[in-house]
Amino acid sequence: MSQKQLFELNNVNKSFTKGKEEITIFNGLNMSIKEGEFLAIMGPSGSGKTTLLNLLGGVDRPTAGDILFRGSPINNLSEGQLSKWRAEHIGFIFQFYNLMPMLNAARNVELPLLLKKLSRSQRRNSVDTALKLVGLEARAGHQPSELSGGQQQRVAIARAIVSDPTFLLCDEPTGDLDRATAVEILEILQLLNREFGKTIVMVTHDPAAAEYASRCLHLDKGEFIEKDLAA
Amino acid sequence: MTDTYLVLKNLTRNKLRLVLNCFAILIAFLLFGALGSLQHAFTAGIELSADNRLIVVNKINFTQPLPIAYVNKVRAIDGISKVTHANWFGAYYQDARRPMVGLAVDGDSYLDIYDNILLSDGGREAWLKERQGVIVGERMAHMHGWKVGDRIPISSNIFSQADGSTVWDMVISDIFRDKEPSADTNFLLFHYKYFIETQTFGKDWVGWMILTTEDSSLNERVAKAIDTNFANSSTETDTSTEKAFNRSFLEQVGSIGLIITSVIFAAFFTILLIVGNSMALSIRERTREIAVLKTIGFAAPRIFGMVLAESISLALIGGLLGLGVAVMLINGASSNPQLQSMLPNLIVPPSILIQALGYMLALGLITGIFPALRAMRLNTIDALNRG
Amino acid sequence: MGSLISQIQAVVAMNLRSLPQRIWMSLATLFAVAIVVAVLLAFLSMANGFQQTVKNTGSESLAVILRAGSQAELNSVITRDQVNLLSEAPGIVRGDKGPKVSAELYVTVDGIKRSSQTEVNLPLRGISESGISLREGFTIIEGRMFEPGKNEIVVGSSVLREFSGFELGNSLRFGKTTWTVVGVFEAGASVFASELWTDVRTLQSQFNRGSSAQVIRVALQQPGDIGAITEYIDKEPRLNMDVKTEAEYYQEQAKAMSDMIFFLGWPLAIAMALGALAGALNTMYNSVAQRAVEIATLRAIGFRGVSAFLGTLVESLVLAFIGGLLGTLAAFLLFDGISASTLGGSFTQIVFSFELSSDAFVQGITLAMIIGLVGGFFPALKASRVPVMVAFSVDP
Repeated sequence: MSQKQLFELNNVNKSFTKGKEEITIFNGLNMSIKEGEFLAIMGPSGSGKTTLLNLLGGVDRPTAGDILFRGSPINNLSEGQLSKWRAEHIGFIFQFYNLMPMLNAARNVELPLLLKKLSRSQRRNSVDTALKLVGLEARAGHQPSELSGGQQQRVAIARAIVSDPTFLLCDEPTGDLDRATAVEILEILQLLNREFGKTIVMVTHDPAAAEYASRCLHLDKGEFIEKDLAA
Repeated sequence: MTDTYLVLKNLTRNKLRLVLNCFAILIAFLLFGALGSLQHAFTAGIELSADNRLIVVNKINFTQPLPIAYVNKVRAIDGISKVTHANWFGAYYQDARRPMVGLAVDGDSYLDIYDNILLSDGGREAWLKERQGVIVGERMAHMHGWKVGDRIPISSNIFSQADGSTVWDMVISDIFRDKEPSADTNFLLFHYKYFIETQTFGKDWVGWMILTTEDSSLNERVAKAIDTNFANSSTETDTSTEKAFNRSFLEQVGSIGLIITSVIFAAFFTILLIVGNSMALSIRERTREIAVLKTIGFAAPRIFGMVLAESISLALIGGLLGLGVAVMLINGASSNPQLQSMLPNLIVPPSILIQALGYMLALGLITGIFPALRAMRLNTIDALNRG
Repeated sequence: MGSLISQIQAVVAMNLRSLPQRIWMSLATLFAVAIVVAVLLAFLSMANGFQQTVKNTGSESLAVILRAGSQAELNSVITRDQVNLLSEAPGIVRGDKGPKVSAELYVTVDGIKRSSQTEVNLPLRGISESGISLREGFTIIEGRMFEPGKNEIVVGSSVLREFSGFELGNSLRFGKTTWTVVGVFEAGASVFASELWTDVRTLQSQFNRGSSAQVIRVALQQPGDIGAITEYIDKEPRLNMDVKTEAEYYQEQAKAMSDMIFFLGWPLAIAMALGALAGALNTMYNSVAQRAVEIATLRAIGFRGVSAFLGTLVESLVLAFIGGLLGTLAAFLLFDGISASTLGGSFTQIVFSFELSSDAFVQGITLAMIIGLVGGFFPALKASRVPVMVAFSVDP
């Protein structure tokens, strides 16, 4: 079965200037992500995992090279176009959940829907569906401070999928959770990948987490050491 | 949920801070409303004076007399439609420490020029034929409980009669209102003839003259003509518009306007410092959340707008509350009879309300603009502290 | 006990050293307090300066006699006969040249105020030689005294400062008459320094006042004692007059204005102080929130709650105190000594200077410290109640 390419990185360079020093993260990085895969990216800190995630998520731009999303480059979009693009295609899941502390669970989930033209009832339906999917429909009215870490991360997942994006970007989604809770989260991600066809890229340093992915890439000093787990 | 809801939630997340900031803004607008109304009360007389009215006073000083013959001489000058005159009586009622405004005037011509004075039907005729008649402003009559027909003894702190008495018997012919309801009616008018024939300070003089020009564009020419006419005579004149005269009279008390403006400025500056910093702090504390919103796909201008909406809402809440308190305070104060006699025009004028609204928006804009810019330009990568 | 004091010292020092982290908030509070204090001191020094000027004018050993009910020199009228009758009154000092009585005329003329370029009322006082001898602080500092019978004027030093056109040697026109400024006089920091003086007879004839006067000043045998004169006037039907000591007269003249300044100044300052207080509370609550982990850590290793309390309170007091000093300094530099003029009881200008009294200084600092105390107290209470647990909770 030939799958379509979702992302293609061609010869991507990325460097920062930190003070007077210039730090090169990527020098001629090439990779591709197929639609429907669950890709884990592992590597020691400083290997460039998070920078890669930022590039894929359109919150950062390469110094040189192209990032193609479904064949068209995103690196030359304006800030405003990128915001729109993110809202349409990408769901983010963070290590520390990053929920809005003053909003209850349902409203946190509803947040991305403010970027779409939807009626109130359409928004409510989407929120209910997303919360049900992560098994938190009973906690819709709770403030983040009233939820456990795992529950907060599930709210965060619901927020990421509520607008039905193509692609989920997860940054250490289990990094702050205990083993059992981590498993729950990973199973949800797997479900989203298998049943709902979401393409997922997950950065993690936990090999046990990486096992839930269909493919795993090891990043070290800006370069990939490929291993195919699903095979 | 809408952006409005988000703004509201952000505004109320730290309730203590919200209350403190609102209170600080409340104070600023309370001061603005109260002091602005006070200033308005001081200057209200100026704004109400007609454009084509001129005042002629003795050039030495307006407390020096003019010869009565001037009235007819002035009437002959081109461009003048009506002329009348008045004398300051230095009136008080029973208590010398509480002076009141009382003028001895030529009734018929005075009422012709001051057509804002409204008498009851037949009131004018009744007054004009009663030698000791006096017409009293509604507010003054109300304050003393006077009615038409009352005989009242009015004393002068300046003049005395031939027998040494300083009290004039007067009978109230009518009680008048002003065309403009907010105008001051805390004064009385009685007949020049009664005054001049009974007091002992000469028989042929008036305090000042008031005249109307045929058109306000003639004001300058007429004023010049009058002053030239009497130049080098024993009594020279100084003619100015009623507005300018009132304004310079007020200016004598001191720079009330300057003082009030300075205080308001100081208050606003203080509140700007406090609220501006607090707003900046709130946004700094929310750096991470703003970064998440931007990552999710909220566009920078939208975030900018949300922060600005928050600071403007804050200014509006505090400001409107402050203005409300000011209105209550001024209304309370203006029902106090003593204050009413000192500052008859003490109200919160609509112009102050509109200005206040403008300042609220400005305050919200200034306190919000830098945090909003900061939020808009926030680098999501640094803010999320990853990598 | 000793350990508690060193605990407190340590915490206070830590707080103050961490101030730069909250520099903008702290500066905002500091400036807010400074502005409040400066506004208060502006009003107080204005009220004080005005009051001082008027107080300096009135003497206890002189009585001011006006026509009954006239309240002010400007309004009063007194005839020659009445002046003569009054000279016979008991209780008046009698010298070689008879009783020390000064019948004075008081008319208003126009001047131009330098600051606003508007016409204002200035008093032109007609006075005799015996009247001048009654004024103790009177000295000619420039030029010479006017000569009786000539249209000559001496002007008070404050007139020269505030109003234009009265320089030595200038000619002034009042109506058809021309007058020459021949001297400048000083009369202490008094209301007289805002007046123009000339010979009373000349003034009477040039202003068509016949032989009438407006006010009589007499030297009292017993300073402050007007009883004998009052009694004499009461018994004499041809005299319908009010007697007051000069001190009392000027006190009354000044009261309305200085009251107004005072009663306007304090409520304004208090209202603004409340605004600044809101700022101080904001700042200090923020300071406590920022230092919560630090406070909890100290508590965990055995520091007592009271040290956290005092640490926060002292921070607030220090901010308020610096603000108060800054405000005082600003008021001193901006307002102290500036000259102003306003309308006095006789409908003429009184020139005075803003004068910052030590009393006002104390009141300003007190207000600042109250802001600091209240603004620090509640946050300090919160600081002393930070749970030790906070030290162990890690927040991303």
